[in-house]
Amino acid sequence: MRVFSSLKTGFSRSLRSWKDVLIVWFILFILVSVFMYPFRTSLGSAFGTSMITEKLATGFDIEAFADLGSTLKTLLSFLTSGFMILYLTGFITNAFLSGGLFNSVGKESIKFSSREFFMAGSKNFWSFLVISLILTLIMGFLSGIFILIPVSIISFSETVSEKNAYIIVFSAVAVFLAIIPVILLVADYARAWKTVNENDSCFRALGFGFSQAFRNFKSSYILMLFLILAQIALGIMIMLILPGWKPVTGSGVFLLLIISQLMFYFRLLLKTWRYASVTSHLENTSARKNENL
Amino acid sequence: MERKSAFILGLFFIINTLHGQIINKVPLSERITGYKINVKLDTEAKTVSGKMEAFWVNKSNDTVSDIRMHLYMNAFRSNRTTYYEELGESPGENESDLGWTEIKSIGDKNGHDLIPRMTYISPDDGNKSDKTVVRVLLPKPAKPGDTVLVKIDFETKLPSRIRRTGYSGDYYFVAQWFPKFGVYEPAGMRYATSGGWNCHQFHATSEFYSDHSVYDVTVSLPVNYITGSGGVLISETVDGSLKTQLFRAEDIVDFAWTAWPGYAVFKDKWKNTDITLLTSKDRINQVERQFTAVKYALEYLDQNVGPYPWTHLTFVDPPSIGAGAGGMEYTTLFTSESSFLMPSFFYMPEMVTVHEFGHAYFMGILASNEFEEPWLDEGVNSFWEARIMDHFYGNSYGRVNHPLLRISDAAAMRLPYVRSQARQEVSNAEYSWNYPKETYSMMSYFKTATWLYTMMGIIGEETTNDIFREYYRKWAFKHPSGKDFVSVANEVVRREHGEQFGPDMNWFFDQTLYGTGICDYKVEGIYNHKYLKTQGKAESDETTEPAGYNTDSLYFSSVGLERTGEIMLPVDVLVHFTDGEEVHERWNGKARYKEFNYTGNREIEWVKIDPEFKIRMDVNYNNNSMTMTPQKASLNRLVNKISAFIQFCLSIILL
Repeated sequence: MRVFSSLKTGFSRSLRSWKDVLIVWFILFILVSVFMYPFRTSLGSAFGTSMITEKLATGFDIEAFADLGSTLKTLLSFLTSGFMILYLTGFITNAFLSGGLFNSVGKESIKFSSREFFMAGSKNFWSFLVISLILTLIMGFLSGIFILIPVSIISFSETVSEKNAYIIVFSAVAVFLAIIPVILLVADYARAWKTVNENDSCFRALGFGFSQAFRNFKSSYILMLFLILAQIALGIMIMLILPGWKPVTGSGVFLLLIISQLMFYFRLLLKTWRYASVTSHLENTSARKNENL
Repeated sequence: MERKSAFILGLFFIINTLHGQIINKVPLSERITGYKINVKLDTEAKTVSGKMEAFWVNKSNDTVSDIRMHLYMNAFRSNRTTYYEELGESPGENESDLGWTEIKSIGDKNGHDLIPRMTYISPDDGNKSDKTVVRVLLPKPAKPGDTVLVKIDFETKLPSRIRRTGYSGDYYFVAQWFPKFGVYEPAGMRYATSGGWNCHQFHATSEFYSDHSVYDVTVSLPVNYITGSGGVLISETVDGSLKTQLFRAEDIVDFAWTAWPGYAVFKDKWKNTDITLLTSKDRINQVERQFTAVKYALEYLDQNVGPYPWTHLTFVDPPSIGAGAGGMEYTTLFTSESSFLMPSFFYMPEMVTVHEFGHAYFMGILASNEFEEPWLDEGVNSFWEARIMDHFYGNSYGRVNHPLLRISDAAAMRLPYVRSQARQEVSNAEYSWNYPKETYSMMSYFKTATWLYTMMGIIGEETTNDIFREYYRKWAFKHPSGKDFVSVANEVVRREHGEQFGPDMNWFFDQTLYGTGICDYKVEGIYNHKYLKTQGKAESDETTEPAGYNTDSLYFSSVGLERTGEIMLPVDVLVHFTDGEEVHERWNGKARYKEFNYTGNREIEWVKIDPEFKIRMDVNYNNNSMTMTPQKASLNRLVNKISAFIQFCLSIILL
């Protein structure tokens, strides 16, 4: 029951924060555009006035791209190195923006104020950055343990049957996927707590995140699972719409841009719902604890 | 004397048996060689040992003083063999890792011990450590028409890391495992100017050139093993923990077999051919895909090249522990490659099955020399593989068919060639081991398939099929060479097209097969100039517009084309005008620059060289066209999708 209450409160709070989400969307859009604009220009000049782009009308054509030769190599290295830079920039930006979002989905926040959003972002920046960094490293470490080690063992084994090898790998991936909600809960509890307890250190926040996640494990896990499933549902919807949609006119492509960005905005709203629900759940469980005391 | 007579009688019995008909109604080949082998698989020692009786008939007019045989398992004897030197690797550190064949005794029909007359030779590279070819001096030279009979006791140790052949745990794939005759080539056969043995060492990239033979192979092995081979199972007896199986194969160039307790056996039929599939029990979900693919290949090659002449076909999908045996061909036995979880949009298992089956034709029936002309084997087969895959699985997605990525098999053949930096280092007409590093596959498989597609684009699909039908008719169960193929192509093209392509097609083969040039045609530019045509008197001064000029739209338009590569091929050119009219031009493609000029009331809007992408050797399709009104919608759509994808990825991986 507490879970649904937290989800409900979180949902209304995330809707209330739609303007904050709009800021996040805009900043991320600009960030990605700064990276993609030169790519778009380079790709355009690589194909020039060639009509080979007709082959792209029905989808990706490997020959059209492969025939770009060394230009393709340049474009690919731009994409890969660009994505790394984008990830690092996005990591830092996200630490800032999530600070603003956690503040706006908190209990006290009622009216939208961009000043307050950015102030909260800057106030929580370093703590959120450290929390994100530590939990990302933990996630990387766990993926190594749960996925790479079983895969390496199986690849050197001559006795494990193929079916069993797949079962082992899928089980390992499943265990890893089952751990992800816990990491997310720790991250969200730590950040929600830090937003309220401004003067405490990020490591205390992290400690609180772990203790809170495991103290209310069942309800917290169900809550996070539900939120993740909602995001997966949106992901499936996006996968059904975007890849197969192949407009060939300028206006059609513009519509694609609008729809894809709208979907991305929804995706950010769902993420905000996650932040808000975990914050609300934290408030509920803390209130109950106080009542018990 | 009595013993000797009995021995000769016995050998005559062997020859008679091997020449007799058990599977096919009539012999398909000359049967210059034949083998009767009786061996035991020792699953503890990992050896196959026993006796072999074999014959070679001197069909030439030469008197031949020796015989030469492959002992290809010796390629796995050490890291100093030619095979491992070419690979730059090692067979392994332990004795159990190595593979070898040891001839314990060898005698002729008169009971002479031939061991003292036996020497290991290295005709290709002089490598003293390579013992993959043995020469045996005959006590009495073989005169024309003579039959040389040899009786050999041998032991073959299988290597532990399966590379085409070997064992892994209790899995066995036994290929290149017995002493096998080379091919005696009299003067005039293929490229031979004088009679001699063509018996190459075992190389990293080639291993097939043999006469079509008859095999009677008896194998004893533990009763729990399930076997498959290139022959037909004639009989099976069980004696305690061992079973003995007799296989017979007729008119094939090599005999391989496999044994594993874990095999699941499936059977199907295509026309009169019984098809057997041996696969891992984990891959039962792939069986339907495999049978469908092999039947597609049978149907297509039967229709467009020639009939599949055997009544049996066995193929193996090795389990992951025997993956090293995957993707190999032994005529009526071949190996595929798949996996328990193979996405339905990814036609890799089908592609391997179609390709390896195709070798039953290109190497099996048309027994070319893989060592000396790998293109005639792998390249021609790759061309047919791509045609079969794209025909049955989708013209644009015969390799991968996913909404996000579609790849045709023809594209998968072309790209490794056109994108290779080494595409001009060597021509197709090269011995397999002479290809510079990492160019073998690109040249022998992909370049050949690409120029064959180009040839088909020029002469048409039906003429191409007719070339292969004629090639089959003339050379089935013989040893064709590249020049024989070219000769057939010239004959068929001339018969069907007269002088349309010149007196022969040598101009094509000289550039593509024997040349190292590249093909690249390019649209240099489109020029539309408005005609300033005077009507009557025209006056002008420096301050006013010229009076009396007609401003009607009369244009002088031209397209400039350029041949930037060395290869000269006839190409189609399609010119599109602003009023919707299209003019189809034909350019012989010889000049370095070419211009087409037009005068009319419209401008040229776009131009395409080779609009149907027939010239697949063209290394850059992107410069084959030009438009005055570029459409960027597709590119923008792609960029938008990549942007959205990156945004979603970032939002997922960032906490």
